[in-house]
Amino acid sequence: MARVVLDNINKIYRSRRGNVHAVKDFSLSVEDGEFVSLLGPSGCGKSSTLRMIVGLESVTSGEIRFNDAVVNDLEPQHRNVAMAFETYALYPNFTIEENLGFPLEVRGVSKQDRKKEVRRIAGLLQIEDVLDQKPGALSGGQQQRVSLGRALIREPAAFILDEVMSHLDAHLKFQMMIELRRIHQSLGRTMVFVTHDQMEALALSDRVAVMHEGRLQQFGSRDDLYHAPNNVFVAGFIGEPPTNFFAVQPEEADGRLTLVSDDGATRFQPSDHRAATIRNRGGNSFVVGIRPQNLTRVADGLENSIAATVLLNEYSGERSILTLTSGDARLQAVTASGDDVGRGQEVDLFYDPDDVLVFDAETEDLLV
Amino acid sequence: MSERNYRLVAILMFVFLGLWALISLFPYYFQFITGFKGIEEVNRITPTFWPDEFMWSNLDLIFSDETNVAALLDTLLIASANTALAVFLGSLAGYALARFPRQAGGENMAFWILSNRMFPPVAILLPMFRAFDTVFGSTDNHISLIILYLVFNMPLATWLMMVFFRDAPRELEEAAYLDGYSPLRAFFKITLPQVVPGMMSVALLCWIFAWNEYLFANMLVGSNVAVNTIQTPGFVQGAQKLWNLAALFSLIAVIPPVVLFLVLRRYMVRGLSLGVVKG
Ligand SMILES: Nc1ncnc2c1ncn2[C@@H]1O[C@H](COP(=O)(O)OP(=O)(O)O)[C@@H](O)[C@H]1O
Ligand SMILES: [Mg+2]
Repeated sequence: MARVVLDNINKIYRSRRGNVHAVKDFSLSVEDGEFVSLLGPSGCGKSSTLRMIVGLESVTSGEIRFNDAVVNDLEPQHRNVAMAFETYALYPNFTIEENLGFPLEVRGVSKQDRKKEVRRIAGLLQIEDVLDQKPGALSGGQQQRVSLGRALIREPAAFILDEVMSHLDAHLKFQMMIELRRIHQSLGRTMVFVTHDQMEALALSDRVAVMHEGRLQQFGSRDDLYHAPNNVFVAGFIGEPPTNFFAVQPEEADGRLTLVSDDGATRFQPSDHRAATIRNRGGNSFVVGIRPQNLTRVADGLENSIAATVLLNEYSGERSILTLTSGDARLQAVTASGDDVGRGQEVDLFYDPDDVLVFDAETEDLLV
Repeated sequence: MSERNYRLVAILMFVFLGLWALISLFPYYFQFITGFKGIEEVNRITPTFWPDEFMWSNLDLIFSDETNVAALLDTLLIASANTALAVFLGSLAGYALARFPRQAGGENMAFWILSNRMFPPVAILLPMFRAFDTVFGSTDNHISLIILYLVFNMPLATWLMMVFFRDAPRELEEAAYLDGYSPLRAFFKITLPQVVPGMMSVALLCWIFAWNEYLFANMLVGSNVAVNTIQTPGFVQGAQKLWNLAALFSLIAVIPPVVLFLVLRRYMVRGLSLGVVKG
């Protein structure tokens, strides 16, 4: 059982071709038993962070603590963490059964108990029928499950899972997510789960840490990330379809503050609270972000709207995604699937001023 | 290509390969029949291509002389000990270069090791000779040759093992560390099995080199210890060269490497193609 704390971690890879600053001033505190996801695009330093947690990579600066004990210099064998690798890392000369049982064998678990455990975990992951094969004979998805199983078979202080579902098809992924969630609930162990897929991260974890270019962008619950993204990156990265952004300037008229897009075509009414912040702060350029889900064709008591022209109406089951233009800007909105607006049609999109997110154009940070 | 052209190519290929096999196998054939001729028949002006009579007793003559048997055993001992050392040390060095390139001296160190095979071997002979003479009292012993051959086999073994270890994914070792293995245990249990095919081919190359070496053996050993390549030209009776026994003895000396090669051929192809393609 462990609380995992990263305190101002930096990782710089030094090589002859130059230095790569892969993780920058990264601080994170994962509570004991918590399920935390590290979410970010490929190459943002997720794997590097994990490898430092488990001890496979040295920490350039900063401190890693398990339950207040600094583990920076502790060998991986002594950290009592289990990791599933992005590249599976299955032992090619062992059968699947031996691969799964390996961590138990090292710990001196008897052959019989090992067999029982292997069956159990193989059952969970639906790989019972390949137990006596070698990894080379398995599909990518099967190998990935074996790799996950090898990590889950013992009960370490923390589980560290690196992109363990990237090669599973949608149906299987869904089942695995349920299993993983269940395993987490029954064992109550700390889990750090890395993914570039926001759907996995949001569905599984208690809290999500969003990473970009080596830096932590935001660490919070689903709601925090969705409704109060720290900055433009998080707002754009979280949510599907992605948030619409407009470069805007504030305009005062009749004591009301309006945010007008740079081409003058689109006008947003921020909430009174945000308008006050903008006034206090001064400055002439901001970024407005508004989620496609928060632009609706039905007024339903909303007073504010923007006008836009439909470019495309994509039907996807219970909803349709509209792609539209407003001035020079392109934007998307989500509407009910029965709504059969077509190309070229002028529409009004209503919004709640509370949903108009305003960011500083310079720092890209959210104004609160 | 038309069906006929295809057949023509196939036929030409067989003709060519057949001819080639004939040419390269002929010396062995001649060695074989010479080995079982009587000395009178060997010395005839017109060579015969089939012995008038097979002198199976030549085998007895070879094996009844215990210096012949001793020479084969000496060679076996020297080649095997040298191979074992070269592969063992080469694996350790190759692993270090593959996994900790910076700490082990980097590309330059690896290249320097390989470059040991590039300068004329004779250059190291004199210092080696003196060193063995001083340390072992003479050079006419097994250990001198075992060590001397390392000069040639170690760089080869180190370089090839480095390539094989580079190709063995590091993550497997890392996974083993996390599962609780010490680095040494992970090396033997996880990493080594992956490079066994390569290792076999390295061992074979080293062993064959040591088994066939003549130049240095001739300079270092000869009386206490003899190897097969020194023994072969030594079949004389008075002023008479016993070509039949020399041929038969060297024929016997060819058998072990051929058998080894056949047994390890599978590894050889896999191991070497790995090194060639990815190295
Ligand atoms: N061993 C290494 N040496 C040098 N650069 C590395 C090494 N490992 C990763 N990097 C670099 O560090 C950055 C972060 O990589 P990584 O942590 O693997 O990202 P992610 O897992 O989020 O895709 C990348 O730019 C990558 O090229
Ligand atoms: Mg990664």
